[in-house]
Amino acid sequence: MEYILKNGIVYDPANEVNGEKMDICFKDGKIVEDVSADAEVLDVTDKIVMPAGVDPHAHVAGPKLVVGRLYRPEDERRGVAQKTKVTRAEAGFSIPSCPTTGYRYSRMGYGTVCEAAMPPLEAKHTHEEINTIPNIDINPLPLFGNNWFVMEYARENRIDDLAAFIAAMLRVSKGYGVKIVNPCGSEAWGWGMNVHGYDDKAPYFDVTSREVVRALAKANEQLGLPHSIHIHPNDLGHPGNVPTTIATLDSIKDIAKSTKASAGVRDQTIHCTHAQFHSYTGNSWKDAASGAEEVADFINKNPYVTCDVGQVTFDETTTMTADAPMEYDLFKISGLKWANKDIECETAAGIIPCIYSPKTPVSTLQWAIGLELFLHIENPWQVCLTTDHPNAGPFIRYPKIISWLMSAEKRMSMIDNGEVHKWASKRTGLAGLEREYDFYEIATISRAAPARIHGFQDRGALTPGYNADIAVYDINPNDFDPSKDPEGVEKAFSNAYYTIKDGQIVVKDGDIVSTKQSHTIWTNVIGYEEEEKQIIDSIMPFFTQYYSVKWENYQVHDHYVPNPTRVDVEAK
Amino acid sequence: MKTITFDQKKTSSIALEFDELITDNIYSWTEEDFAAYKVPVGNSRFPITDYFDITVEGEAESPAEVKMILNGDCNRVKYIGCKMSAGEVVVNGDADLHVGAEMSGGVVTVFGNVAAHAGREMKGGKLEIMGNTKEFCGASYIGEWRGMSGGEIIIHGNAGKQCGECLVGGKIHVLGDCDILAGIHMTKGTIEIDGNVNRWPGGQMKNGNIVIHGKVGRLLEGFVEQGIVTDPELDGIVYPGRYIEYKGDIALNGKGTLIIDAEKNRDRLSTWIEEDDEYNAIREYRAQ
Ligand SMILES: [Zn+2]
Repeated sequence: MEYILKNGIVYDPANEVNGEKMDICFKDGKIVEDVSADAEVLDVTDKIVMPAGVDPHAHVAGPKLVVGRLYRPEDERRGVAQKTKVTRAEAGFSIPSCPTTGYRYSRMGYGTVCEAAMPPLEAKHTHEEINTIPNIDINPLPLFGNNWFVMEYARENRIDDLAAFIAAMLRVSKGYGVKIVNPCGSEAWGWGMNVHGYDDKAPYFDVTSREVVRALAKANEQLGLPHSIHIHPNDLGHPGNVPTTIATLDSIKDIAKSTKASAGVRDQTIHCTHAQFHSYTGNSWKDAASGAEEVADFINKNPYVTCDVGQVTFDETTTMTADAPMEYDLFKISGLKWANKDIECETAAGIIPCIYSPKTPVSTLQWAIGLELFLHIENPWQVCLTTDHPNAGPFIRYPKIISWLMSAEKRMSMIDNGEVHKWASKRTGLAGLEREYDFYEIATISRAAPARIHGFQDRGALTPGYNADIAVYDINPNDFDPSKDPEGVEKAFSNAYYTIKDGQIVVKDGDIVSTKQSHTIWTNVIGYEEEEKQIIDSIMPFFTQYYSVKWENYQVHDHYVPNPTRVDVEAK
Repeated sequence: MKTITFDQKKTSSIALEFDELITDNIYSWTEEDFAAYKVPVGNSRFPITDYFDITVEGEAESPAEVKMILNGDCNRVKYIGCKMSAGEVVVNGDADLHVGAEMSGGVVTVFGNVAAHAGREMKGGKLEIMGNTKEFCGASYIGEWRGMSGGEIIIHGNAGKQCGECLVGGKIHVLGDCDILAGIHMTKGTIEIDGNVNRWPGGQMKNGNIVIHGKVGRLLEGFVEQGIVTDPELDGIVYPGRYIEYKGDIALNGKGTLIIDAEKNRDRLSTWIEEDDEYNAIREYRAQ
């Protein structure tokens, strides 16, 4: 089937197209230069055309989502919508059901979402959930930062073995890249402890967070994986965590980016996720303040670092993370119902509801710090739009965040009218920031940059040959001032005029008009077969003795990934 | 003023859902509107007129000017008055789950018995039940930790388990007996029970008041006896008589107040102070 999107105003930062009126053609699911005269014309005159959105970090599938849904039935009833001829019934707000997740991303014009924390032991279930999320492709990142084998290789500086282990685990779990959460801290939580700072040791492992992160970064670059290491640093959410954050990012400085073609798309060697939660100064919440400027300065000076923000949206949401000791801290503060899980020799997880209110000082501080990061980081290719869904807020608030970024007036009115707590002006520099994003920058932080950071070579741009993943929004940028109409921005980005996924129209005028099976994007390392076999043989005695499952049941077999997009990496 | 009368024609074994048929939505409806309306029944919808004859009298400019009368056995009609903000609903019979749930204003009166979750998460208004209620009256939705937050529920019969669970405001008055765990997890508001209480009132309560005029079966260990109080005043209301006062639930560092009738529960006290004249006078006064 051939289509031509006619007369749209195109923002395609990867191809440096900034608001040009042009036609976009696609055929058989791919963007093409030209189509025949028989092509179906989709008139999008004076509407914004962008590549479909790419979410670089969210939690949408896996066992902790299931725990969240099970123990928060009160969340499921928020956002209930009846089934239609096309969609199944929708339910849930911060932890929507799987189909609902797909529909809501699709309505916002998104096409790809990274599931940012998959414990290999729970990978099978994560893939089962991915298979029931329609309309968006998902690349899951397995967790490595507290894996017992990884900590041993890191302690002994066995980078070759670690590379082989990563290659094997990506295959075994059908994962995409290397995720690290509170390195050594989640393991310490198994002993009721946490690590503090970057150079603290995991109990009984005699290895520091620094050693684990550096080893994983080296192995990542040795393999030439499409994505860099993707880290949630230590000390998340603790006042005074800026030195830990900067030490973590700084420690990778001397590690060269892989020269392999597979790693050629990205610029960074480390991606720091939800940087907002890692940018606090002070000694306690009594004297906590924004460290956004310091973190942003570091990122501005160091192009090998990228980040996403984890913007607080002022909602009642559900936090869930492999940083289980942090969740226990939250439980001690709020006393709300708390779930905790130990994932054997791999990681841990904690879940707790969280109410971010504009009336409370801490939530407001977090909200302002997130916006400060967006506004202080000069190069939009180094910062991505996320809420760390659902941790700082549900992903359906992305359009609202876009409206805040595009309107200094809106931000100032929230501060001046007392809509947010006075800490926003007293403890952060947000009130002094007049920068406003334009549509080109919005397109960068919500699709082009995340795609480049994840090393995708088939999406995030309207390049011929790429997937026809396209979003159209009902705004005429030549006749619309986003600075003056934040509600208009939010409305348009919440309800795509068209969302096109692999050349199929899935959303028209904000309504789901069709659904399609999503792809699972995983990384297939080629060239390490012998090393992978050796490393698996070497861990097998331990695995057999200490894991609660057999190796044969541990692996994610092909039928769990019925619709794969396999990214081959020539690692040798 | 507008009166909308629903006279039952037939019952359904699968529950009808009335959450769309609340005063806020139907105050402007005519008989023709009702004739065209299909009510959710299980996973389908059927004409409301299959189940009820509906007559509309008078005019209404707002939900407050509507009186909705349901005549018949509505024990398979869910969500009556759910989320309504004004007006009046009278059920001349039983009602099913969620009657008056999340209502923020107006009055709902049921002249029969009601099923579970009556007045769930109610924010305001008045819900009066002439019969009994099942469990979770004035409670929260499953999983939710914020139950009824305002308004008043009066139950003339008995209340089921976990009445007033997670209460965060408002008042529940049970004129009959109350089953286990009344006021569990409550943080604010008042529950008054005229009859006897089976077991464990106030489990894990953080704050708020529970007043019991009858006999209490068993108390949780987290309630610490404070002694006998006469005519105690709680949140500005005086409860005449002599009560044993407890604070709890200390298992959760709770500071809730539980007062139970002293004479009916005198077996709980190690020493019993003989009734004085004033106390007898109050008893006589209350007996009148
Ligand atoms: Zn995350």
